[in-house]
This record gives sequence, structure tokens and C-alpha cells, in this order.
Amino acid sequence: MPRKAMIKEIVEETYDTKTFTFEYVNGEPKGMEFKPGQFAMIYIPGVGEAAISISQDPDELKSLDLTIRNVGSVTGVLFSKTVGDTIGLRGPYGKGWPYEEAKGKNVLVITGGCGNGALRPIVYAQRNDPSRFRYLEVLHGARSPDDHIFRSSYEEEWAKIPNCGILLSSDAVPSGQSWDHKVGFVNSLLKDMRSKPEETYVMMCGPEVMMKFTCLDLLNLGFTQEQIYVSMERRMRCGVGFCGHCQIGSKYVCKDGPVFSYAELQELPDHIVR
Amino acid sequence: MSEWVLSLQKEYKVFAPIARRKDVSFQEIMDPDEVILDYKTTTLPPKKFFHLTETLVEYDEEGNFKAPKMDPQEPILLLGVHSCDLNAIMKQDRLFSEDYVDTYYQRRRENSAIIAITCIEPGENCFCGSLGTGPTVEKGYDILLTDIGDGYLVETGSEKGESMIDGLILDEASNEQTAEKNRRVNTASDLLLKSIRMEGLGDHANNNLNHEVWTKIGEEGGLAGCFPCLSCGNCSLVCPTCYCYEVADIPSISLKDGVRRRELDSCQLLEYSKVALNHNFRPERKDRTRNWMICKFGGAGGQMNSSCVGCGRCIKACPAHIDLTEVAKSLWGE
Repeated sequence: MPRKAMIKEIVEETYDTKTFTFEYVNGEPKGMEFKPGQFAMIYIPGVGEAAISISQDPDELKSLDLTIRNVGSVTGVLFSKTVGDTIGLRGPYGKGWPYEEAKGKNVLVITGGCGNGALRPIVYAQRNDPSRFRYLEVLHGARSPDDHIFRSSYEEEWAKIPNCGILLSSDAVPSGQSWDHKVGFVNSLLKDMRSKPEETYVMMCGPEVMMKFTCLDLLNLGFTQEQIYVSMERRMRCGVGFCGHCQIGSKYVCKDGPVFSYAELQELPDHIVR
Repeated sequence: MSEWVLSLQKEYKVFAPIARRKDVSFQEIMDPDEVILDYKTTTLPPKKFFHLTETLVEYDEEGNFKAPKMDPQEPILLLGVHSCDLNAIMKQDRLFSEDYVDTYYQRRRENSAIIAITCIEPGENCFCGSLGTGPTVEKGYDILLTDIGDGYLVETGSEKGESMIDGLILDEASNEQTAEKNRRVNTASDLLLKSIRMEGLGDHANNNLNHEVWTKIGEEGGLAGCFPCLSCGNCSLVCPTCYCYEVADIPSISLKDGVRRRELDSCQLLEYSKVALNHNFRPERKDRTRNWMICKFGGAGGQMNSSCVGCGRCIKACPAHIDLTEVAKSLWGE
């Protein structure tokens, strides 16, 4: 059952992506207790629901941030809403990143496009406690400079977090856009990164095709199938393993995922991350 | 028997197999004499009473949500449920109570009673014998009836069942009568024409994702004379263990308020795995038929909660004549 939630703030990340800050209208906390990597279901009455990874600071329960790209029917209507409007919200659902396991170890975050939203809780966790991970390295790529979400945060905020590094890439730089980072797909950043396979958890979110090739490159660099975790997207209706839509072979993405190890995925059909 | 059913109707809305056009269907009975207890199979399984459509949420003009009013429901009694279908109900009971409790489903189940019946003469597409889901059943019923020629052997499986036979004058079953039940169960098992080697089949299928059988049923046809799948979704509709559902909002005519409802869906339909930007994770028929088959073989997300019980309905309902037992044989190389 969704609960009524109010839009408290909207940040325009790119031309098609916004971060919405929600607060539940009734009850405490106003935000949602969640583990990084879990997702919430947003509900627009009369339109439907959509599963969105949580981009909120995991230590902050007073509101809930969801970074959303305008790509479908539900998100399309959401984008017409303004501060003060209400929608429905329920969650969190799913298993998140190996957040506890990675404590004190190295974390390599690799994201594409708005997939970066699903990893922002990990960056915030390091910001809140810089000894949380031994070293956190973020490789983030997008199609063009204008497709980079959280763009102003990277250098002003994220790069200043102790024990944290960030590398950025853009697939292409159309005329009129400026870019002083790498030009190329996100996996082209792998040769510039300082992360090594030893004692490192890889957390990845982006389009399947990006994750496919980045995983293959990581395996070539000596990373194992077991230390690479990816977040999968599927159609979702219930979020609790009843409706069936999100299943990939023997797994429900809503219940057994959305985060899977690369090793787990190798046994499953109907995806290309192999 | 008729008098007994009439007395049960005082307490329950009684549904039983009766003739409907060219088939048999679970319907509310008006006259106990129309009940057909020696039927082969019904068009739809009893899941239609527990998991077909449901209102999940009501929303109003102000954007408030509330659970739909749970009107007191008249208790229902399903009379004459075959063991395959009862096994399927037990699977759904498990699914809808294991990790999360589905209150909508559980409420309907709690308001129901089941009188099961042992199959004496299985249908031509049945293969419950290979799955341990028939011709008779050991648990899950309130009452189990077995036709032993000169009457029915009556076994109770719950307090509800005990109270349903309260007041009936029944003879204690003799050893011969119990033996007659076993003899008839064995005879029915021997009459089963189809079989399936189920043990390890889910894993085996998952290890053979590129097997030629998927192309045959999904694209080319030719498996035991079948045509390629038509993506009609009949198999899911008639399958007693298919529980996948779609959820959609139905606004009122004012468009200001409305309800959120669920209804059965099928992974055979193109839209089932479609996401934003028109991406589809199972765009080809062979992806979808493979998904369904592996699900029925116990290798999908539902594990054994959505696996086959051997009722044979999908074989009968398939316009392309795709036979699940033949798919299994092909995978095993038989």
C-alpha cells in the first residue's frame, strides 16, 4: 500500500533528469530507512507505479531523494509535478549493494548515465564517515557532458571527500558543450584508475550494454566474477516477488536483486551482462 | 449426496464442476444433480476463485490512498477439486504467505472450504502420476471423496471437514473399501498416457538455454507435430500454478478518483517484460516460451511454487499443440 508523500524539492540534474526530495505526509520518519542499492516504488494515481533506485544519504531519514530520468509514462507525469504536489511512495525493496561487507575495504563504483543515482548513497556514506571504505573510487560516464547528473557535485564535493577519487568520461562532446575530462566510454577510464582487484568490491549500475563490456574489461584486469556487483533493471509491478514481471530465470529482481554478483548472473537467461 | 450438498449450501456458496457448452466448469450450483464428479478436467482451474482480479488500492481526489473495504464474504465451498488442482492451491498458499503475506489472497482462502475428489479416470493429457500430485492427495483438503463403486469413501482432513459431515450417518470404512480406493488409485495411475521426468529438470533446462527445442516451440514448430507458439497466453490462463499478475489503475469516469487493480497476466504476452524507452527483455517468442517452460519445470523465480502439477490443461488449450511433456523429453534427449 503506497503512502502519500509530498515533493519538497526538485533539482534539475540534466535536461531529462531531476532529483526529487520527498517527505511522507503522515507518520515518522518522513524519509525511508533503506540500505544503499535498494529501490522504492513511486505511484502516480491514475497512471501507475515505477521502480526507482534510492539516491538518498543513507544516514539521513528526514526525507527521501530519488533521481529520476523522464523516460516513461509514470516519470513523464511526475516531471509535470512541482514542489508541494503529492504522489504515492512505498518501499524500500530488494537487496542492496554489499554495503556492510565492503566496510573497511576498497570500493570501485562504475556508473553510466542516471545509474549514478543508485550509487550516490555509497558516496554519501563515505562523506559521512571517510573511514567507511579504505578507498572509494568512482568512475562515471555519460553520453555527453550535458548528460552528467550531479555534475556540480563531483569536483566541488565528491572529489574533496577523504579517501575518495572520481574519474569522469563522456562518450562524445557535441559542439557547444565543454568538457575537460576523458572522452570515451566509461570503461576507457579503467586504465586511469588506481583501484586494484585486491580487497575491492565493484559496484556498477548503468545500461546492460555498458555493464557487459565494463565487466569483461574488469575480468581481463584480474577482477573475479564474485567481486563485481551490478544492479539490474526490469519491469516491476509488486516489488515483493508475487507479480512475476521482473524475473530473470530463477531470480526475482525485486526480491533477490536488484543487485546481483556477476557470477550469479552467468547462470541466468534473458540478459546480456556476460 | 444431493441432500448433503443441499445442507452444505446453507453454510456455503457451493461451486462444483458442471457442464458448460462443450466442457466442464466450476460454477455455483443451483441443483445438486447437475454436479459432475467424474469429470476429466475443467476449463479453468480453481485459482479463479482466489487469484483472478483484486482491487488493491482506492485513491481519491486529494491523492489519499486507502485499502478497499473488506466486505464480509460469503464462505465458498469448492466441491470436487482434483488432486492436481489442490496441489496447485497449496503451492499458491505457500507463495502468498512465505516472504510476504498477501492479505487479499489469504482472506479468500480462509473463507473457503475444499472437498477434493480422487481421480478414477484421468484425462488424455494428464500426467500427475510423474509429479506426485495425483491421482489422489494426502493433505490440503477439508474432505476427500473417493468413488469406490458402491458409494464414496469419505476422509476428513480438517476440523472444517469434520463439521461438514457432522450429522451424516456414515458407515465406518471396511478394510476392503479402503483397499478398493488404493486399487482404483493404482488403476488410474496406470491409465495416465503422458509422463514427465521432473527431477532436476529446472536446472537441466537452465543449463540448456540454447537447446534447439526452444527454437522449435518458439519459432519453427515441429516438436511432436506442434506449430510455433502464437503468444496467445492461453497456457498461463489455464495453468493452475501461473500466478503472475499485472497491476493497473482504473480511474472513475470523473478521472479524479479511482482504483488500482490487479489481474492475471502472462509472460507469453509481448508487453510482459517491456520497460521504459520501449525496451523489452524478452522480445522473441522463443525467449518467452522458454521462460514459461522453465517456470513450469521449477527453474524460475517462483521455484516449486509455480511449477507444473500435471493437469494437462496447457496441452489442451494450446492452439499450436505445444506439449510440455514433449519439451521435457526433448531436453532430456529422450
